[in-house]
Amino acid sequence: MSNIAGKAYAMNVITPIRWYMTWINRLIFKIALKNPETLKGLITLSLIHYARWVIVPRSGFPRLDPSQPKEDLQYSYMLFFSNFNGSWDQYVDSFTFAIPAGLDLFWKWNIRYPKSVPLTPFHKYIRHNQIDTLHYYNAYPMASSNDIKSAQKIKKALIDFNTTSVNKTPDDFLKDYNKLLIDLQHHFGDMKPTPIVSLSADAVKKRYLQSHLNSN
Amino acid sequence: MATKNGNATALTVLSPIKNAVMGETSCADITRERCLSLPIHEKSPLARVPNTYLARLFVLDDVYYESLPASDCVFNFSDITSFFSDSARKKALPRKDHLKSKYLVFSSNFYGDLDAYLAGLWKNWSYIDLSGNQRDVRHIWEYCVAFDRVTDISSFIDYIKRCQLDASLFFNGSTDDSLQEQLKSLYLKQEFTRFAIEHQGKNAAEIQQDFKTFIQRVQPENLSSPTWPPGKSAP
Amino acid sequence: MTYKLDLTDIQGNIIKAYGSYNYQKARYLLFRVNDGDKGRQFVGAIATKVTSAVPWGKLEGNAVAGKPQATTNIAFTYMGLQALELPDASLRGFPEDFMMGMAERKEILGDDGPSDPKFWDRIWKEDVHIWISINGQSIEAVEERYDWILQQIDACKNGVTLLMGHRGETGEDNLPYQDASVLYDNNGAPSPKEHFGYTDGIGDAVFEGQTNVAARALGRGKLTRDGNWEPLATGEFLLGHVDEAMEYPRTAPTPALLAHNGTYMVYRKLHENVGTFNRFLDEQSKTFSGSKELLAAKFSGRWRDNGAPIVNAPDDTSKAEWDKRFAAADFAGKKRMLSDFTYNEDMHGAKCPFSAHLRRINPRGSLEFGVRDAYETPGALVNRRRIIRRGLPYGTVKDATRDDGNHGIIFMALNADIQRQFEFIQQQWINYANDFKEGNDKEVLLGNHDADSPGKVVIHTDPDSGKPPHFVTNIPRLVETRGGGYFFIPSITAVKLIAAGLIDPT
Repeated sequence: MSNIAGKAYAMNVITPIRWYMTWINRLIFKIALKNPETLKGLITLSLIHYARWVIVPRSGFPRLDPSQPKEDLQYSYMLFFSNFNGSWDQYVDSFTFAIPAGLDLFWKWNIRYPKSVPLTPFHKYIRHNQIDTLHYYNAYPMASSNDIKSAQKIKKALIDFNTTSVNKTPDDFLKDYNKLLIDLQHHFGDMKPTPIVSLSADAVKKRYLQSHLNSN
Repeated sequence: MATKNGNATALTVLSPIKNAVMGETSCADITRERCLSLPIHEKSPLARVPNTYLARLFVLDDVYYESLPASDCVFNFSDITSFFSDSARKKALPRKDHLKSKYLVFSSNFYGDLDAYLAGLWKNWSYIDLSGNQRDVRHIWEYCVAFDRVTDISSFIDYIKRCQLDASLFFNGSTDDSLQEQLKSLYLKQEFTRFAIEHQGKNAAEIQQDFKTFIQRVQPENLSSPTWPPGKSAP
Repeated sequence: MTYKLDLTDIQGNIIKAYGSYNYQKARYLLFRVNDGDKGRQFVGAIATKVTSAVPWGKLEGNAVAGKPQATTNIAFTYMGLQALELPDASLRGFPEDFMMGMAERKEILGDDGPSDPKFWDRIWKEDVHIWISINGQSIEAVEERYDWILQQIDACKNGVTLLMGHRGETGEDNLPYQDASVLYDNNGAPSPKEHFGYTDGIGDAVFEGQTNVAARALGRGKLTRDGNWEPLATGEFLLGHVDEAMEYPRTAPTPALLAHNGTYMVYRKLHENVGTFNRFLDEQSKTFSGSKELLAAKFSGRWRDNGAPIVNAPDDTSKAEWDKRFAAADFAGKKRMLSDFTYNEDMHGAKCPFSAHLRRINPRGSLEFGVRDAYETPGALVNRRRIIRRGLPYGTVKDATRDDGNHGIIFMALNADIQRQFEFIQQQWINYANDFKEGNDKEVLLGNHDADSPGKVVIHTDPDSGKPPHFVTNIPRLVETRGGGYFFIPSITAVKLIAAGLIDPT
């Protein structure tokens, strides 16, 4: 069991919502999609690779065969999946303090949602409704979402520079090269394995490596 | 469809697991064990599935009962009526819901279109599990309802689509480049950082000469090589 | 709204940095409790001399609190509270980090390689239960209080043992105490420096309930949206008070009287590799375009000589002007010049790089990265990560080209939640930098740099200058942990309740 893959943390949260209220959430999500301004805090926070909200209506759980019993639910459910850097315990404060209103907006209509401040009830609410991941795969365990975005800039800048400047006179080349370094000066962060996320996660990882080495 | 954000796609799959028992173990628990026996990082089967950014598997056993302090944001009329009637008070408690099936949840964030992605998943999902056995994608989904009807790519794609749920909001805090593009960029970021450090203070001609060699070596536009392998977990 | 603290109940070391009240000498003692009853008797005796936070001078009415020659404060490890027989129900209420202690948290703190607990002063292998500090206006005053404490050990019939095993000046490893002292300049005057030559202990966090709080909060409290400063919530630093999350810190044990007005202390003995630092600075300044002193300032965020924040004095010329204004300023003005600044005009880090110690431990509003109103408040990522710093240098540098010997800083951090505050800063901001968008680049001075894979930092430049950024490379481990623990500093009331064996969470 691991909610962690390198620098990413997998969060799964399932929360009940009155079925006749889901339209409000759909509307809020639609507005958020249309107005990037509403997600400004989340974008500046820059801890998330990808996240999604999925609303499952009462009758919306997949039923594939008549032999499968029909679900008979009183609530609809909201699923939240996130891939973010750091763990929930480490970064709950950062999320709550940066975007309390946004969190409230997205979860407001869910049953017994306590609001994001004070923090402990909110922290507990998410924990209460969290489902642990069994297998989590991350294509770049050593990279945070910041690193991916930096890398995109570096690649583009390198290709451009190689086209425009590489055959100039050495002096002009150097001028452009220095400009390249200035443009990229916030994108040179080292990429190494993550600092340990928690002692228990670290212990699980060490046991995995140990047994994996033995089995090979 | 909100399930896409640019070229990035959010796939949410809930596949019901059979309510059956094999020997003394339920199908859900067998499925759970199989998920747990997937090797991680570079060795995960998902590392072979083209364009997978981040993906996960878990089993949804049931929904939770909201045994939490009353905190409804909406004014609740029952708060008043509860003073006069105990049945009104009880009605105001959260309802008890239970799922009748357990679901294998597969959630993936990937580049490109669903059909191509699922085809890649079907073809490439192979791995040696932690006990040393060669497995394919059928091993994980084996005990899901109606999965026995999946025999080829197209029936697999159909199956997954029947289990798929749309996202109301898909937030992309990263990029929507292809995975190859992302990995190549990460490789270049690390290599160019090293180059910049090593050439600090050197004269123009030397930097220029070395830069040309550098570009030849790292081949910025060649996405397949040299680059980072998917799931690379150590320097 | 003014919020008044019970200063008679709060231990003095939480509120006062004794060093700035002319207490130039300090001595730290560690004890093991051998017997619950007799141990509590010892704690009771010490309680009579525990220094409160009452302001020295005239109090309300006619009372006057005299400034003592020496102060005494007391704190406990989790094992210590067990040994003093606190009820299990109370013990279970303490947070995990405090229960485990610092050595067990080494993987989080990055105490690896030469900082690994196996290389710590050997006293940390003992059962450390009680910590007592003496701060004195003279070494004689320290000695006198120390002798008094030794008498209390006898008086309680060895209910506690004073532990030996602090490393000393001349290689001895069995000292019964850790001495610390301000450093003195060439004229013998006390100076606010530490062994690398930096001016230390300038901008501690300020919280609600402290005296003269409006003026002190400038640059030291929390930044508001309109650019003002407010004191942080008391509960960030004292249990039993509301914190920034609008709740009582959940790290408080029960009963309330045990926790109220108490806090957690991180105690660390940090050895400074002076020879390596000097060589490293010389070597790196050869390729750096500015002066050696500017480079040293880029590491810390302050100029070494007088602590001028580089964000307001980013080069030699502006530093000279800053010095002139500083010389002309009055006492309050000087304080303000040292503390009251932001990075709002330095979003590129061209003045103060993102890796500078000062910017890493307190980024002020800069984690909004210049995106106006991105967060609820500019300090959204910062206000829950603040600590109060205490401590003094220890040892003397006899040969500035060498690392060995016994010299460094006794570092103490006070906070309501070790994991959320101190450990987060140490792990996420000193030894890692994703929040600063700098990947794994560690802070230069305190980072746990790895000899096998040495790191670098980027010294940013102004994009309009045409000057490329400077890479500081091959950073060696400049500071090594030589010991430390997590302690609970109870209120004076709670110390007395512990001593009397009256703690009962029923």
